[in-house]
Amino acid sequence: MAEDVFLSDDLLRQLMSVGEVDLLVGMSSHNAANTVSHALDAIEESFQRNFVRQRVVIVHVGGGDKDEDGVVAKGHGNLAETGLRLPGITSLRTSHRVTANVPDPPSRGIALRTILAAADLLRARACAVVSPGVSNLTPDSIASLLRPVYREKFDFAAPLYARNKYQGLLARNLLYPMSRALFGCGIRELFSDEWGFSGRLASLCLNQDVWHEEAIQARPEAWMAVSAISSDFRCCQAFLGEKPQAAKGLGTDIVEVLRQTVGTLFWCLETQQSWWWDCGRSQPAPAFGPDHELTADPTDLDRHRIFEMFRSGVTELEPILSSILDPETHSEIKSIVSREEGKFRFKSDIWVRTLYDFAASYHHAVINRDHLVQALAPLYRGMTYSFLVEHSDSSPADMEAASELLCGEFELQKPYLMERWKAKIEVKS
Amino acid sequence: MVSETRKESPSLMPQKDNLWYKDAVIYQLHVRTFCDSNADGIGDFAGLTQRLDYLQELGITAIWLLPFYPSPLRDDGYDIADYTSVHGSYGSLEDFKTFLAEAHRRGLRIIIEMVLNHTSDQHPWFKEARSSRDNPRRDWYVWSDTDTRYQGVPIVFVDTETSNWAWDPISKSYYWHRFFSHQPDLNFDNPAVFEAVWEVMKFWLNLGVDGFRLDAVAYLVEREGTLCENLPETHAIIRELRRRLDLAYPGAMLLAEANQWPADVRAYFGDGDEFHAAFHFPLMPRMFMAVKLEDRKPIIEILDQTPEIPDSCQWFIFLRNHDELTLEMVTDVERDYMYDEYAMDRTMRINRGIRRRLAPMMDNDRRRIELLNGLLMSMPGTPIVYYGDEIGMGDNIYLGDRNGVRTPMQWNSALNAGFSLADPERLYAPVISNAVYGYQAVNADSQNRSEHSLLRWMKSLLEVRNAFQVFSRGTIQFLNPSNHRVLAYMRQFGGETVLVVNNLSSSAQAVELDVQRYKGYIPIEMFGRNLFPRFGNVPYLLTLGPYQFYWFQLRRI
Amino acid sequence: MRETILRALREVYGNLVHMIAEFLPRFLVMLIIIVIGLLVAFVLKYILRALLGVTKLDRVSDDAGASRVLRMAHLPPMTELLSRSIFWVTWIGFILVGLSVLGVAGLQEQISRLFQFLPEVFVAMLILFLGAVIANFLSRTALLAAVNAGHPSPKILSWSIRFVVWILAISMTMEELGVARQTVISAFSIIFGASMLGLAIAFGLGGQDLARKCLERYLGDTKKKEDKEPQPL
Repeated sequence: MAEDVFLSDDLLRQLMSVGEVDLLVGMSSHNAANTVSHALDAIEESFQRNFVRQRVVIVHVGGGDKDEDGVVAKGHGNLAETGLRLPGITSLRTSHRVTANVPDPPSRGIALRTILAAADLLRARACAVVSPGVSNLTPDSIASLLRPVYREKFDFAAPLYARNKYQGLLARNLLYPMSRALFGCGIRELFSDEWGFSGRLASLCLNQDVWHEEAIQARPEAWMAVSAISSDFRCCQAFLGEKPQAAKGLGTDIVEVLRQTVGTLFWCLETQQSWWWDCGRSQPAPAFGPDHELTADPTDLDRHRIFEMFRSGVTELEPILSSILDPETHSEIKSIVSREEGKFRFKSDIWVRTLYDFAASYHHAVINRDHLVQALAPLYRGMTYSFLVEHSDSSPADMEAASELLCGEFELQKPYLMERWKAKIEVKS
Repeated sequence: MVSETRKESPSLMPQKDNLWYKDAVIYQLHVRTFCDSNADGIGDFAGLTQRLDYLQELGITAIWLLPFYPSPLRDDGYDIADYTSVHGSYGSLEDFKTFLAEAHRRGLRIIIEMVLNHTSDQHPWFKEARSSRDNPRRDWYVWSDTDTRYQGVPIVFVDTETSNWAWDPISKSYYWHRFFSHQPDLNFDNPAVFEAVWEVMKFWLNLGVDGFRLDAVAYLVEREGTLCENLPETHAIIRELRRRLDLAYPGAMLLAEANQWPADVRAYFGDGDEFHAAFHFPLMPRMFMAVKLEDRKPIIEILDQTPEIPDSCQWFIFLRNHDELTLEMVTDVERDYMYDEYAMDRTMRINRGIRRRLAPMMDNDRRRIELLNGLLMSMPGTPIVYYGDEIGMGDNIYLGDRNGVRTPMQWNSALNAGFSLADPERLYAPVISNAVYGYQAVNADSQNRSEHSLLRWMKSLLEVRNAFQVFSRGTIQFLNPSNHRVLAYMRQFGGETVLVVNNLSSSAQAVELDVQRYKGYIPIEMFGRNLFPRFGNVPYLLTLGPYQFYWFQLRRI
Repeated sequence: MRETILRALREVYGNLVHMIAEFLPRFLVMLIIIVIGLLVAFVLKYILRALLGVTKLDRVSDDAGASRVLRMAHLPPMTELLSRSIFWVTWIGFILVGLSVLGVAGLQEQISRLFQFLPEVFVAMLILFLGAVIANFLSRTALLAAVNAGHPSPKILSWSIRFVVWILAISMTMEELGVARQTVISAFSIIFGASMLGLAIAFGLGGQDLARKCLERYLGDTKKKEDKEPQPL
């Protein structure tokens, strides 16, 4: 049976004209003409300022990029030689923009697959994926993602940001320590809108038969990072400055975010079990630029509401949680739920065991996996509340120390996860 | 191969054609380098005369001679000590006249150098001028009691000179020199200088030379607060020269050596009342850059910037010449790139340029050499072939200054490459004798005997080029296919249309050309005269091998 | 008389032997059919198990929550359940065919009626099973969504959905089995229609203020939630 062909003839023709490249930057968009134009110009400027001798191409997966007035984005075409001229900058080579037109909004998975295919066919040495919606997309940030891959021969470059200390709590308290403990590589921003990768990682990922998986459609970057780690590729982190604020209505619905991130992480645990099972102690991923920065700017959060949602969630979801959590873990959570708001603390060891219980239950599919991930939301809120209270006056250095302790706890309790992973499931009525 | 000759056979004495320089193929040489007839180790006019058949057979139509005047030879003859004579090493004035007649008999025109900007400090004019401040010729040069005048004017020979002023110990004052310190600049603010120069030019024109290359023409006049280049007064001088030339010697040509951006060189054409022709300096490094980058962008960009010139005027284009491959008309990024790609060894670099020949720069890659020559012959302008490049001669970067590209012509594998019967130690410069470019491997005789040699290929290239005026006089329109490794353009003149397609890449390429407006035309490949499929409604697909190029004559039948 | 008795006994004996002689082959055929049926059932069971293994039915069942239902009922996983079901259905079918060969009066007719009723029973069981699965899935979905949205009474919502789905499934099951068909349909229609009408009236007319407040609170909560929770990534 012939393999599915997903590269259109039109795109293939464009790639033929481009030929082999050194650098490829990909992005996807839909109905975002203004941001697309800005992003394209930023990429082009980055090429001209930082990679003047290299053969470069921009791959844009999108369609219908009209702005509010229905005008198609400037310079947006199938295959165009860019006309950006910067004062005082010499552009030695022709820079191409390739567009893969798709009628519907492309999922991140489809967009990435197209970009990887282009990178593979064009034998790109270093690539980056950026998002036009990211507010801090600058020529320097793009170069920061490409340089470690192109010059230092890394295979994966995750971004690093300067954050407010209350930002990114999911990453700080769950995604980063858990992935670090299990996969052995300390990448802070496993889930992001921009990252860099090598051509050989692109080829590796392209040839995997995972493109129909929901986890890939939602957040493929984490899977790429995990693929790189589990294939013993070199990973690093590149500082990009301040973390851009999510656009209104995006990335703030905790349930949706958990679905995309934790769901993907659990799926990665499923598919890469052979790697993390035998993985030893974690190693830090080298960082280019400052490691990361925390600012202590004040922030306005409704802690009471967060706590209430935690408490009501744990109570109301008791039947579900009982089928997911180990009885001991569950009873500990029930006991801390009953405490007063001011005295409530979600200890690290309980939090880690909770997450490992969820991971193991995901593996055993004790309930629908999407439901399982949703059931984590109240518990995450509890952890968030506890964190906010505990670190209300902490300095960034103290928070960093606490983060390291949490990472240690995840590593310490890894045998617990392995035991739960292997255990036979019991029927709970 | 049948030529479609559109002009008279070049074997005849050229008819009166005041625009002959537009259709010419120029061969640049220094008489010293070409052929030595009297075994003194230095080429001479008698020897050059003996080799005129070779040049005629090659297919060139004009010879540009580098300076052959009496000179201390501290700048390869550009430091002239006597404008109306021939350096004794190269023969006599009679020898020159004989050469001129023989060249004309073969239909070859002769262009000579005329260095107006400066003389040698051994020239009698300067000797007189410096002898005292009251000498009548004092004002023939530019003098100053201090070296602070004309501040900020760039130095041309940055590797050897530190100032544009030099101290004269005899007259105890400074004199102005834009080039070497032994080349004082003439003062064109003095009308007597102009008249003297005109007399010199008349001398040669009366002998029968067909044109002058005016060296360093941009620097004729100095004015405070300027860069002392391209001043309006300079143009006035040129206009006057041209006026007198057209009046007394119609058909004689003035060629400007102005290493400037095309927009700045444009001024030297005036309204068709200044120079007939000028070098297109910025195009040259960009052809080399394009081949290395495998990207047509540098060529397209510079030609897009090139302004229209009067119909009677012409750009002269070239790949290499007697000087370094100048990188003045490129950006710093481009210069660094050229250095890194073509002159990694710093010995190869001089004066913001690269002192290498064509073949070594192309790593002796026959395909790239052919491609660059194909570009040279098909781009708009009059092409110049530097002596020795037609056989792929090498260079000697260990000779001083730019002498590495001025080594003896390699005629055969015999003693001294057939250049001279003198003892090898006596030669003005050693012949190239390494394993790759040595005269045993690279020489005209062996290439003439080999059917598929570079020399034979160059002959066929020039034969095709000379048969079609579209190359010399036609317009150019770039097709810009999506494959940036392919440079494709249409040349049109009168009823002739030629499609040129060049693969700048080291790998095979496919390209789709938008030629729908030429629907119905049949492309005929011009070297083999083979027919290609007719142009239709869809983009025309061509595939090219590494560095391959096509010339297609388009015919509608 | 002795002769008559002997003759009668000989006659009866003869009839008995004749009956046995006639019955035995049919009995043997029945046994053969049953044995063949057993073999065929085993083969079908293994084939089905292999096919369902390829389609990853157990994974789908896990995701749908059906596996949990099965576990609660101490039933084997879906693949095994279906394989065993097909085994038993096949074998029982062959047994019934075998029994029909015996030629016992009246038995054939009952077997025939049973065969006719079997598909309905199967469909009814399937409806009930699917109903249980869907009820479980939807109620859990609703519970999770309500909890995470901060709804004041998530369990009520969850149970309501479970109740509605169960009622629907039971109604469809009974209709399929033909048990009090008209009564069930009417009762279901009345209850369902009245419930919906009641909810609409209650919510739209009697509780318009409440409806307004709920909407305001929902929209306000959404905005507050976005503003008052820290950005997770």
